[in-house]
Amino acid sequence: MDRYQFLIALAGLIFSMGLLGVMIRRNLLVVMMCLEIMLNAVVLSFVTFAVRGQTLSGVAMTFFIYVAASCEIALAMAIVVLFVKRHGSLDLTPHQNLKG
Amino acid sequence: MTRLSLIPLLPLVGFLINGLLGSRFPRWLVSLIACALPAASFALTACLFTGLLASGTPVSETYFSWAALSVLKVDVALYFDQISAVMCMVVTGVGTLIHIYSIGYMCHDESYSRYFAYLNLFLFFMLTLVLGKNMLILFAGWEGVGLASYLLIGYWFKDSEKTAAGMKAFVVNRVGDTGFILAAFLIWYFAKTLDFQMVNAYFAASPPSLLIMNTIGILMLIGACGKSAQIPLHVWLPDAMAGPTPVSALIHAATMVTAGVYLLSRANGVFLHAPLAMNVVAWGGCLTAFLGASMGLTQYNLKKVLAYSTMSQIGYMFMACGLGAYQSAMFHLYTHAFFKACLFLGAGAVLHALHGEEDMRNMGGLAKKIPFTFATFLLASLALCGVPPFAGFFSKDEILWNAWSASNGSPLMWAIGSITAGLTAFYMFRAIFMTFFGESNVPEHASHGIHEPPPSMSIVLGILAFSSIVAGLIGMPAPLREMFGVSAPFFNFLGQAFPAHAVEAEAGAHHMETLLMGVSVAVAFGGIFLSWLFYSRNREWAVKVKQNAGCVYEMIANGYYFDAFYYGIVVKTSDWISESVLGRTIEPAITDLTLVKSAEGAQSVSALFSWLQTGNVQAYVFYALLGLAMMLWMGVSNV
Amino acid sequence: MTGIFITLFSLLSVVFAGMVIAIRQPMRSALCLVAHMISLAAIYACLGAHVVAVFQVLIYVGAVMVFMVYTIMLLDDRDSSYRHVFSGMTMPAIAIVLVVGAALWMLLGQQPANFATAGPTLDGIFTFRSFSTEFMKQYWFHFELATVLLLIGIVAAWTAVKEGL
Repeated sequence: MDRYQFLIALAGLIFSMGLLGVMIRRNLLVVMMCLEIMLNAVVLSFVTFAVRGQTLSGVAMTFFIYVAASCEIALAMAIVVLFVKRHGSLDLTPHQNLKG
Repeated sequence: MTRLSLIPLLPLVGFLINGLLGSRFPRWLVSLIACALPAASFALTACLFTGLLASGTPVSETYFSWAALSVLKVDVALYFDQISAVMCMVVTGVGTLIHIYSIGYMCHDESYSRYFAYLNLFLFFMLTLVLGKNMLILFAGWEGVGLASYLLIGYWFKDSEKTAAGMKAFVVNRVGDTGFILAAFLIWYFAKTLDFQMVNAYFAASPPSLLIMNTIGILMLIGACGKSAQIPLHVWLPDAMAGPTPVSALIHAATMVTAGVYLLSRANGVFLHAPLAMNVVAWGGCLTAFLGASMGLTQYNLKKVLAYSTMSQIGYMFMACGLGAYQSAMFHLYTHAFFKACLFLGAGAVLHALHGEEDMRNMGGLAKKIPFTFATFLLASLALCGVPPFAGFFSKDEILWNAWSASNGSPLMWAIGSITAGLTAFYMFRAIFMTFFGESNVPEHASHGIHEPPPSMSIVLGILAFSSIVAGLIGMPAPLREMFGVSAPFFNFLGQAFPAHAVEAEAGAHHMETLLMGVSVAVAFGGIFLSWLFYSRNREWAVKVKQNAGCVYEMIANGYYFDAFYYGIVVKTSDWISESVLGRTIEPAITDLTLVKSAEGAQSVSALFSWLQTGNVQAYVFYALLGLAMMLWMGVSNV
Repeated sequence: MTGIFITLFSLLSVVFAGMVIAIRQPMRSALCLVAHMISLAAIYACLGAHVVAVFQVLIYVGAVMVFMVYTIMLLDDRDSSYRHVFSGMTMPAIAIVLVVGAALWMLLGQQPANFATAGPTLDGIFTFRSFSTEFMKQYWFHFELATVLLLIGIVAAWTAVKEGL
């Protein structure tokens, strides 16, 4: 495999690790961080393809991903603050209001 | 050419208009629609009748194919031959007259249009029955007249007794229909067709075994017994008097109850090869005639007397069919329609005058107050009793002669028939003496304003009374034909439809017949004289006889315990089966097995699935990853 | 040379990502995440996409992670999620991820290994000067829309916290 295939595989691996973290950790903030890991993996794959194909659109897409990530983190932190205000703790496991 | 189909369809149009829109119309419009359409049917029938008279060839019209299976072909087809011509003329003619009578009788009723709608519906079904070319069309009409009878008997539905009477009529008819359907199955099995002409031809050519033919005949007889109120399915007819009187006149005297006779005449090809069945029909009819007349002796309700009289007279018609004398049966049907309708309508006029009083013990001395009604009632009664030259004499006498002389008749049958004729005269004049003569027992609230019926009712009474007098003259028996040198157009006309049962035209001496005729006249007058003795001159004799008769009287008054038997055995048994066996044992088990278990199964399965819904977001992400892993793995293994 | 750097920094990023998942204290997790992002930025730089590398450090580390660190500092993290770090489905999740990993490994194993070859020339369009002119020429409208999105995000975040939705 050449370096680009390696990097794509790496992106997949990092994405899976982020997904694993979302499922495993109980602290809400750490879950948010693992979401950021996933986003980073996606950016890595975009950049890899852009460099490999020497196209600008891949990098432009990463630019917009950064914009979206910033917005997302702002709102996510707001929601986390409200969550903590409501439940008094950052723990996700007892928060099961939709339990069937 | 669709002129035949108009005959039943015109009353159907009347039903639809009056039924759907009639409550918004003014009364005169409802009456006009309801009476004009049957009158138009009658005019059409008369046209076709004259055509048939001239040409002698039956008219047959097929409209469309209703079922075209490989084993059964049934078309919607109507057939107008001599038998259905006579029936149609009777049904539309007497029907139109009764519609006109009803205008006056029901003028105080609140749901006027519903009554006329139902009456027109009845005419539609009856005409379908009579004109049907195959057994299925006849059966459609058969069921329909049962329905119309139920609707009309229970017309005043707010009274639960009346609705119960309607139900009883329908259910007992249903029992008879089972026999009809089974007979139809057997006929189809052998003849592969249900068309009457083809069935008769098939059985004439190659009849199956005697056992099969007799079975078919007896099953058909059961069907006819249900519709025509013969023993043992007669129990609904007296209760059916709960309906309005014109309904009793039309349905339970002139037309519906004669449907059984019509069926037996139509299926004469079947009975030709079923001698045992014919014997059963003849003796059954004879027995019904006698028992009906005996039950009429003990009734105090005027309409019930007439109901038992109808049952008895139809017994005569069945007896004639069983003896092979189909023309005599049809002749008696035709004359009976006139005088029985006149009797019922006269009873209706009496009820109208007395504001609904039906018990004869509360009547009396009405002859002076309502003379016209009395006159028509008397003329019709004389016709019923068989006094010459009124219509009933000729027809009843023809039947009694056949009872003596036909191949499966016997002197015993003739004797029972004659005694029944005597009983008929006795109870009819008992009714007349109790109602119209003697001192008045009318209670106070009804005795004011006893008046003659309005013109719409009295004109009809007059027409029917006149017909009761002259209708018999077209079918005079053989000795009188020779005496007067006239022919019998009725029998000649009908003879074309019964080639196998031609009335033998023997010339020469008719001594036996003339003798028997004389005996019947004597019996009729004897009955009238006896009833005058018991009910006009020496009333106490009647009371003494009743006391001495004791339990025999009780048995007859309770209808030979048929009703008690049916209730005690049949009704109670089915109640017990429904409640204890089906209701408590089988139905809970079935419900548990099918409904409860499946619901519980669904619940337990969904309980399993609801275990997955933890409300935890991380768990849901896990499920998504699970799906992703499966897809990836499948992709990888198949790449 | 570039190949070695890329290998090294990818290894680092994996290690740091693993540490993010495994470490108990959220603050230390955040710092590991910062290290992870910087190693990814290094990979971008090795690839020649200098613009993306700079953006990664500036925006992601400099804005997003700082924000997250602020939140961690503000909120009390010594709660039940501190005592019980992992949720109930750790084992099944690890198992499934191993399955996914194995699937990916097998997919990639189909391809012949050819690590050392580089792609086309690395200089050119990903320098700042050429990137910015091209970007503003082709994507100026999307850029404006992105600013609108940011504005909406700010308003939304402020509204949410202010009214306590």
